[in-house]
Amino acid sequence: MKDLKYKEEIEKAKSEVVLENLRIKYLGRKGLINKLFEEIKTLPKEKRREKGQKINEIKKEIASLIEHKKYELKKTQKEEFFDETLPGKPYKKGSLHPLTYIIEEIVNIFQKIGFIRVSYPEVEWEYFSFEALNMPKGHPARDDFETFFIEAKEHQKFGKMILSPHTSSGQNREMQRVKPPIRMINIAKTYRPNWDTTHTPMFHQFEGLCIDKNINITHLKGTIDYFVKEFFGKERTIRLRPAHFQFTEPSFEIDVSCGICLGKGKIDGKKCRVCKSGWLELAGAGMVHPNVLKMGGINPTVYTGWAFGFGPERCMMMREEMKIDDIRILYSGDIRFLEQF
Amino acid sequence: MNIKITYKWILDFLNTDASPFELQKYLSLSGPSIEKVEKDKDDYVFDIEIISNRIDTASAFGVAQEAVAILPFFGKKAKLKFNPFEEYKFLKIIKEEREDNYKLNILIKEDNLCSRFSAIILDNVKIGPSPSFMQERLKAAGVKVINNVVDISNYLMLTLGQPTHIFDFDKISNSDGKSATMIMRQSKKGEKIITLDEKEVKLPGEDIVIEDGKGRLIDLCGIMGGLNSCVSNSTKKIILFVQTYNKQKIRKTVMTTGVRTLAATYFEKGLDEERVEATLVFGVYLLKQYASVKIASKLYDIYPRPYQKKKVATTFSFFEKIMGADIPKEIIIKILNSLGFETKVYGEKIEVFVPHFRKYDINIAEDLVEEVARVYGYNNLPNNFSPPAQVFQPEKFEKIFKVSSKIKYFLKHLGLNEVINYSMISKKIIEEWGLKEKNHLKIKNPISTEIEYLRISLLPSLYKNIKDNEGKREILKFFEIAKVYLPKDNDLPKEDYRLAIAVNTDFFDLKGILEALFLELNIESFTLPKIIKKNNVFLTEINLLSLIEKIKLLPKFNPINPYAVIKLDKTFKLGKNINFKKIKEKAFQSPYLDKIEILSLFKNKLTLRFYYSAKDRNLTEEEAKEELNKIQI
Repeated sequence: MKDLKYKEEIEKAKSEVVLENLRIKYLGRKGLINKLFEEIKTLPKEKRREKGQKINEIKKEIASLIEHKKYELKKTQKEEFFDETLPGKPYKKGSLHPLTYIIEEIVNIFQKIGFIRVSYPEVEWEYFSFEALNMPKGHPARDDFETFFIEAKEHQKFGKMILSPHTSSGQNREMQRVKPPIRMINIAKTYRPNWDTTHTPMFHQFEGLCIDKNINITHLKGTIDYFVKEFFGKERTIRLRPAHFQFTEPSFEIDVSCGICLGKGKIDGKKCRVCKSGWLELAGAGMVHPNVLKMGGINPTVYTGWAFGFGPERCMMMREEMKIDDIRILYSGDIRFLEQF
Repeated sequence: MNIKITYKWILDFLNTDASPFELQKYLSLSGPSIEKVEKDKDDYVFDIEIISNRIDTASAFGVAQEAVAILPFFGKKAKLKFNPFEEYKFLKIIKEEREDNYKLNILIKEDNLCSRFSAIILDNVKIGPSPSFMQERLKAAGVKVINNVVDISNYLMLTLGQPTHIFDFDKISNSDGKSATMIMRQSKKGEKIITLDEKEVKLPGEDIVIEDGKGRLIDLCGIMGGLNSCVSNSTKKIILFVQTYNKQKIRKTVMTTGVRTLAATYFEKGLDEERVEATLVFGVYLLKQYASVKIASKLYDIYPRPYQKKKVATTFSFFEKIMGADIPKEIIIKILNSLGFETKVYGEKIEVFVPHFRKYDINIAEDLVEEVARVYGYNNLPNNFSPPAQVFQPEKFEKIFKVSSKIKYFLKHLGLNEVINYSMISKKIIEEWGLKEKNHLKIKNPISTEIEYLRISLLPSLYKNIKDNEGKREILKFFEIAKVYLPKDNDLPKEDYRLAIAVNTDFFDLKGILEALFLELNIESFTLPKIIKKNNVFLTEINLLSLIEKIKLLPKFNPINPYAVIKLDKTFKLGKNINFKKIKEKAFQSPYLDKIEILSLFKNKLTLRFYYSAKDRNLTEEEAKEELNKIQI
């Protein structure tokens, strides 16, 4: 046993192949260790046990020496070739449409304050997109919502079949579904017949609706201010300007302070390129018109509410990272665009 | 609608210490939005967006009226220099020296065409250039300068917010040369008029027009005058013509003929009849001063239903209820009065009388709240959270959104690209896919044949995505989650959520994606959806709702087996009667089989590894081999 020179041999080994040969030499089925075990059988019984233990110890030692040497060999090998500046193993990334992230973000922001997301028909009756929103037949306000019409039989009560030009058609639907309190957001595809660098015939809208007892303008302001700070950043503020929509009274345009010049309209004495004197138009909003509540079966003397409508595409493009000069790319399906997100 | 007027123009009516930029800032916050201010010589040009129901603000005087109410709340002085509604009265010109040498025979055929009709004939016209201040202002407003008479007509509109028209009297007068006939009526379908811009307009019918009694149309009312009656350099006598028309009719004519003018934009919004008087009187003054005219007829004014003051009654507490802030009574009254509303207070109650120029937009108490709130300043109101309330999301919405999100992220991480396509497709694509056109909803007014039909499947769009991107990337894997629109009889379509995937790799790639997805969603038993092949593209489509029912939050837990697992390999020759499905079915008849792994497939030789174990003891290799040998097909 003493003539086994495994220590020196393992120490001298210069490659894994040599080590493997040593392993076979000592630990293999017909190796030296097994030979030693065979030899035990020739010894008297009382010595066998002691001898066996010793051989086992040597066996373990050889195994661990080989392992250790292997590790050392690897280490020196690695040290020779290791370039940590090489990129890691590539993993497939895939992508989601950027609007998916935007919509998810919006939903999360509103979910935190107890608003639920709903979904209502995109192919709608005129009634829900217009009459129920205080825009009777022939009202010029309908012109603001250019509309695609569907070739279909008119509904006796609800009129023509259309592609809803806004998500506000969901207001009446939600009022029909539940009685107040209502805390709703509705994000959906909407459609208008325009197709150029700033319009696509299909786009998204994002509607908020809150109806309850004692809801007033300060609640609308507070909610939108909260959204703007969550979505665009804490340093951003909002302002309300007068506007007119048939389905809200009072009605507002909501502006958000420009993220570039921080609402000043000027950078180093020069006009900000991005905004109109410090502000960017964000949304239309207002207090739900009493006629709209009535048509939703809600008593306007008991309940009041606010509503707003945003464009997720616009929200997205108002973010720093998304400067898009032709909005049509969003729905082009171009892999060179999609794979970036 | 936007108009351009200048700072000094507004100052004709307004005394203020507000600079042009202060005016911009404060009016934009509480009234019409001044989108741009540009210096123009010694004046400033405002580009003003008129709020759609506030056509009364679309003039220099209208802006001045707003400024009077708004500026004091920003610490600026603002007072009207004079009010043309009070100063320019018919009485003033009736009293003046005149000769009634000429007359008009006016016939208004129907009652609902024109709510006020006023006109006057003016003689001794000297056509020439308009004064330079007027030219400057009109140029700033983007209006073409022509001659003193036409310029005055345009100047009146932008100064007082009421369009006017001027006819050449001699061009339409009767044979006596002393009278002209004006028959206001509805057009007949197909009638034609050549307008001032020398274009022939074929009328759709029921448009408001004026005929000269000899069958000639001389005016497409509210939109554009006729070429045959227009003012020229040789004009001697004119008719100054100031009307308010039925707004729906004007709008309809604009929409159907496509002829749009600034005047039409005013008329289609509905103008206040009281404005007519001041405009005509101011017009006569300007024409006297700058075209040296003399009044040559009586004043015609047909105004069957004068404005009756409208009253809106409410309470002070209502303002607080909607504004969410307690505004002192005096402030509420002050704001309303400064906007031209008269008020009567009875304790908690307030009666508000609507001035003529707000007759169309103020109807209910909420309208008054808007007036008070905007002038008080929306930004002076606090921001409050909407009070919390318990609302429940309907389960179907919750599941759809949650599962869609889970699927999207999973597929993304597998390396797929999400796409959002238009909901509409072309007839060409429908035919290419062998689908039936009649099974699709069709858009009546598509703007392109590319987007004429609503999708009943996502596959054609995804296939197109792959084709469109060929050559850009070697490997393409797209997915989309969207609604399809399945027509129903006499009802809205069924809007079904679908998931579709398309790859240009191979069948097993797509199958693997589906299997991985089902595993991810913990769907235990499923039959894989059909995979179709179109040219080199493999596609599949799943009804999301049917998937949702089977999804589990967690998979079923299997206790960890402490006993030995025996791995055995076996190679099968696949053929007509032997395929993987059959082998699998047979193999799983064994109570000890945990799983099967595919080791290799070479030509038709399939090598499988079988994992055997028992739940209660160590299985022996012999037992496992016995199980393996039972797999005989």
